[in-house]
Amino acid sequence: MKTVEKEVGAILAGTISSITQRSIFNRLGGLATTPIQQLTPADRATILSELENSVRLFARSNSSQLIASITKALSAEAGAMAGAAGGGGGGAPTMAAPRKLPIEQEKDIATARLEAWSEAVRIGLSKFASVKVATAVSELARNIVFYAGNGTVELRSLKDDRGVIGLQIIATDQGPGIPAAKLDEIWAGTYKSQRGMGKGLVAVKKLVDEFQLDTRPGIGTTVTCIFRGER
Amino acid sequence: MDLVIGAPVEQDLPIIQIRNCLLVSIQTELHDRLALDLQASLMERVRNVNARGVILDVSAVEVIDSYITRILNDIGKSVRFMGAECYIVGIRPAVAMTLIEMGVELDSVNTALSLDLALERLELL
Repeated sequence: MKTVEKEVGAILAGTISSITQRSIFNRLGGLATTPIQQLTPADRATILSELENSVRLFARSNSSQLIASITKALSAEAGAMAGAAGGGGGGAPTMAAPRKLPIEQEKDIATARLEAWSEAVRIGLSKFASVKVATAVSELARNIVFYAGNGTVELRSLKDDRGVIGLQIIATDQGPGIPAAKLDEIWAGTYKSQRGMGKGLVAVKKLVDEFQLDTRPGIGTTVTCIFRGER
Repeated sequence: MDLVIGAPVEQDLPIIQIRNCLLVSIQTELHDRLALDLQASLMERVRNVNARGVILDVSAVEVIDSYITRILNDIGKSVRFMGAECYIVGIRPAVAMTLIEMGVELDSVNTALSLDLALERLELL
């Protein structure tokens, strides 16, 4: 049975001492000994945010790679199980289910960023493109937390017959929406918010390959954007 | 046997003094409250120790978005108001390229490739 402890331990071996590892797993409590396929998305988020902090702290050299591998180990397993359960025996690679991340508080921004980053790496975007993806998701998640209170960020890999061609990010909230006048100011670069710089949306638009904003005052806002892998 | 490991994220960032410079290594998510606390305690320390400079090490930060840029600029401005200089060190190449592409500026702080170089420049001031 593949437990979180075993899988993550294998990745951290040689980088983080076993004593430190034990303390890290102690902090996870019962989750450490849970078989990977039994994890709920919420468990996964808890484990990842906990491990991210610990790995940052103790593995100074290549912490990002380690975190990416851990994310992969925890999610690829789940993906494979879902594929097997679906009985898909075809030659085509199973499409990973779109991931919808709840964004409710500031710590969810970091989780969303990490998920987006590892998803970008997983579908084969370059290192630079992956940082762009993570940055865009960070901006969008921040907007949700700051202005709408809560919402979701969804990550979908886009495929055609030749394979993965990009990553789609959909940020949705049921917040106050953006009034037309404010939107004009935002695009003109003259808008200044109190908490942010009022530049988040402009920044996202510049980073992505396709950008679509649908906002209705009183109903909510949806931002859809697409990153295409450079190849 | 219970080592204090993976200390709570909510903890204040430690400010280290090297000669007359203050150093903060940013290893965690800079959220609102943490950023404001950091700014306030840095101001206090700058005054108490007559610091010549403040160095923020961001080499562990993988993603810098417009919000974090604003926090860094704000800290830079307030340090400058007090008569000291603020250096950001260790910005990763991919982060720098992303910032350029987003069109955001880090114009209220100085930057240096490494801690060593930042200290060197602050010595010369």
